[in-house]
Amino acid sequence: MIPVCPLRSLPRGEAFRLDADPPIAVFHTEDGEIYAIDDTCTHQDASLADGWLEGCEVECPLHASRFDLRTGKVDSPPAKLPVRTHTVVVEADTIYVIPSQEPRP
Amino acid sequence: MSLPPSLPPSLVATLPGAYYTDPGVFARECERVFESMWFCAVRASDLPKPGAFRTVQVGRESILVTRARDGSARAFYNVCRHRGARLRTEESGEARRAFQCPYHAWTYDFDGRLVAAPNLTKMPDLDRVEYGLVNVAVREWLGYVWVCLAEEPPSFEEDVLGEVRTRLGDVASLDNYDVAGLALGRRIRYDVAANWKLIVENFMECYHCATIHPELTEVLPEFAGGYAAQYYVGHGALFGEEIRGFTVDGSEGLDRIPGIREDQDRRYYAITIKPQVFVNMVPDHVIVHRMFPLAVDRTVVECDWLYLPEVVEAGRDVSRSVELFHRVNEQDFDACERTQPSMSSRTYARGGVLVPSEHHIGLFHDWVRGRLSEGGGDAG
Ligand code: FES
Ligand SMILES: [Fe+2]
Repeated sequence: MIPVCPLRSLPRGEAFRLDADPPIAVFHTEDGEIYAIDDTCTHQDASLADGWLEGCEVECPLHASRFDLRTGKVDSPPAKLPVRTHTVVVEADTIYVIPSQEPRP
Repeated sequence: MSLPPSLPPSLVATLPGAYYTDPGVFARECERVFESMWFCAVRASDLPKPGAFRTVQVGRESILVTRARDGSARAFYNVCRHRGARLRTEESGEARRAFQCPYHAWTYDFDGRLVAAPNLTKMPDLDRVEYGLVNVAVREWLGYVWVCLAEEPPSFEEDVLGEVRTRLGDVASLDNYDVAGLALGRRIRYDVAANWKLIVENFMECYHCATIHPELTEVLPEFAGGYAAQYYVGHGALFGEEIRGFTVDGSEGLDRIPGIREDQDRRYYAITIKPQVFVNMVPDHVIVHRMFPLAVDRTVVECDWLYLPEVVEAGRDVSRSVELFHRVNEQDFDACERTQPSMSSRTYARGGVLVPSEHHIGLFHDWVRGRLSEGGGDAG
């Protein structure tokens, strides 16, 4: 379990990039859910934490493929492969992630 | 070389012909005038929401004018900070989320900050503001977005409002028309094959009015005398007795702007806001010209006819109203285009002459020379 940041430092609508290997993007949606996915777009090296968060989806800031934060699935090219999702734990007002053990697609 | 012949007191010399034809002079004007002063760029209502943008030529630079998420106007050099590609080549449009360079996809938000780029996270030493778009100073006034490319912009109050005070005596006389609150009834763009100074000079005098502006002289009979409203301070040219409105045939105009004073009714006022704006006020509308000098012999003029919002919303017929000044514009720009080719004639090397009702144009020429020689160097 990796500590990410205090809950209050990630307001709704914002993202945090965890500089792990590989990096992880943590999102706090407008609905108050917290999700974690691989930060790097599967198309080109772009940080999804810099992308546009809308509902349960994030749009890559470079070429507009959208990833579902719940499943990691991508909606349309240019990205074709999904990103992995990671488990989020909130404990004592701190956000943690448990990185997925699956291989990267 | 012999000295120029001395002129009789009735006459004052114009600028020499080369001022209207020499690309070197034009480049210096771009630098010392258009890229140094406040420049009226875009009608604010043409940027209805964040990300809506216009690109405009200011001197030698392409400027991207837009609105940030908080609704405030912003302007940037239209130059990608990576390797210089033009961000947007269209005249207008709407960016959905950000301005993205079409070359390598550097992506900037509406505040100009670099928000994304390929491999950006591998370059943590690259500051996103430092490598954001380069900002240009912005002011909103009269319902227009004004930009200034100078690193230290001159005082808007002194330069821009000062021109209004010089012409009208006070700024309140213009505020009465609530120009920012008016709506665009019509816009016409004129692509004029003439140097921008010929257009300014034309606008400043009325010696030509009786000859080339029959309709205007019908509506404003005093113009036949050759003295422009701009010759005086605070003077509005009175409509002719039989004239009901500022229209091509003198017929009734549109609804009167409620804020104007009684003594502003039935009068025409004109202001030149150097270097590129002309404002005309009549009781029921305001006409704003913005000049975009593109080359030593080419100037695009965008002319807006502004009416009360209810007049525009109701779809009232403004055609006779627009037609009057549209004809005036065509008549004036024809005259400027007729003049431009002669500027390189050997007979015009020393320029022409100004008659007494044009002598105030000499002040404009002094001003141009002053700007060009400011900070030393050769005025060309
Ligand atoms: S020139 Fe704009 S991203 Fe390369
Ligand atoms: Fe004229």
